[in-house]
Amino acid sequence: MTASFRFRNLVAGGLLLAAFGALCVLIFSRLSGHWEWSKPWAYRELLFKGWWTTILLSLGAFFGSALVGLLLLLGQRSGLPALKWSCRLFLEFVRDTPLLVQLLVGYFVIFAPLLSRTLDGWGWDDKLLIGILLLSLFEGAYLGEILRGGIDSIPRAQWDSARAVGFNRRQVYRHVIFPQAIRRVLPAIAGQFVSLIKDSSLLSVIGVQEFAYQAKVYTAKTYGGLEAYVPLALGYLLLTAPVAFLSHRLERRFRHET
Amino acid sequence: MKLEVTGLTKRYDGHTALDGLDLAVDDARVLALIGPSGGGKSTFLRILGGLETADDGRVSLHGETLPASAAGLLAHRRRNGFLFQQFNLFPHLDALRNLTLPLETVHGLSPVEAKRTAEAALDRFGLLAHARKLPAQLSGGQQQRVGIARAVAAKPRVLFLDEPTSALDPEMTAEVLELIQELAAEGQTIVLSTHEMGFARAVADHVAFLAAGRIEESDTPENLFGHPTSPLCQRFLSRVMRY
Repeated sequence: MTASFRFRNLVAGGLLLAAFGALCVLIFSRLSGHWEWSKPWAYRELLFKGWWTTILLSLGAFFGSALVGLLLLLGQRSGLPALKWSCRLFLEFVRDTPLLVQLLVGYFVIFAPLLSRTLDGWGWDDKLLIGILLLSLFEGAYLGEILRGGIDSIPRAQWDSARAVGFNRRQVYRHVIFPQAIRRVLPAIAGQFVSLIKDSSLLSVIGVQEFAYQAKVYTAKTYGGLEAYVPLALGYLLLTAPVAFLSHRLERRFRHET
Repeated sequence: MKLEVTGLTKRYDGHTALDGLDLAVDDARVLALIGPSGGGKSTFLRILGGLETADDGRVSLHGETLPASAAGLLAHRRRNGFLFQQFNLFPHLDALRNLTLPLETVHGLSPVEAKRTAEAALDRFGLLAHARKLPAQLSGGQQQRVGIARAVAAKPRVLFLDEPTSALDPEMTAEVLELIQELAAEGQTIVLSTHEMGFARAVADHVAFLAAGRIEESDTPENLFGHPTSPLCQRFLSRVMRY
């Protein structure tokens, strides 16, 4: 790195920092007076409950989407054209419509009328369950495509070798194809999990009491208080940043392996 | 090994790889397939090895007709060994595990037996020091030798080798050919396709010349290399032997 390059880099960094600082000063000077940090503290339990629900929801939908993704993958590789094309059609539908629309239609048009009685009586939160299910279907479609890409990337020679040593179809997948494909797509899967956590905030529209929902509840209860949006952003970052970091780490490790 | 092939035909999307191939070999331990690239050697080997099924024709090996059902082909593959040009090993497993995994899951050996068998196979070819290495840490020649060790560890009736040295440099080619010669000397039945004419002549007891999906000539190495009768084979040999 030459001295002039370092100087230019320093100037660019300084200018960006100054611009960002000015923007922050402008925003907070406008808002000061309206902001009371004691209020979100008073509602901390509400916000924490939402954050915790988001974690449970994301984990549930992650496993759900893994299952959906796996089924879509196997369906697409099936020899039966009816199964194969149904899976493709489902994938196209899910990937070409907005998640928000899927949630609204899925909950209000399909599930809500089907459930004549809510499951609250059995101690089940039906909105949460339906939310996890809808999110699993959506993210599973993407995960299925990631898995399919991983499997398609395994060279033909590996399939041949696996068959040549005498593995049957199931053993070929289990011992040769899946272990290699998973390694290749692990960074993408972690990236998809980040998307899932962020997308889960949309479930507030069907009334799932997750993090974003509780932030809105806070705003309503405090007659327009906007303070909760700061912990809201930070709370999501706290969940997604480690996963994103893991994704980058895996990506680098895989690059070294090959 | 007794091999009888009649009218074997295989087409891929309009391209005819095998065009009514006939071959009769009464008794050969090492059968070498030679001929120009794209002449059908690989396709023929893949059908013999049970990796592919023919569109038409019949193959009888050791007096038994080659099965057509998926289960029959699987059993056929389990009885025999197959080695490709390259990328035979599973890259996520070390050399030893490459051998033990099929022994355990396909041939039903206990982990202890599998390990003992695999180590003996690696030791036999001087590869035991590399047992814990991943394929990427081995040279191309070592990878092929581990591949052969894996194939013979399960005691195959026939070992099919599809141009086993085509992806290797001359030095590695030599180390792999030496190993194959050793196996042949010990009595292993082998069918291989190769571009190494000197090797085919020295090791095979029967040579078949394949071009355009047919056997143009099939004879002992002395006769085929010494006095080829078909014009195609004469031209091919005069070309490859020139340098």
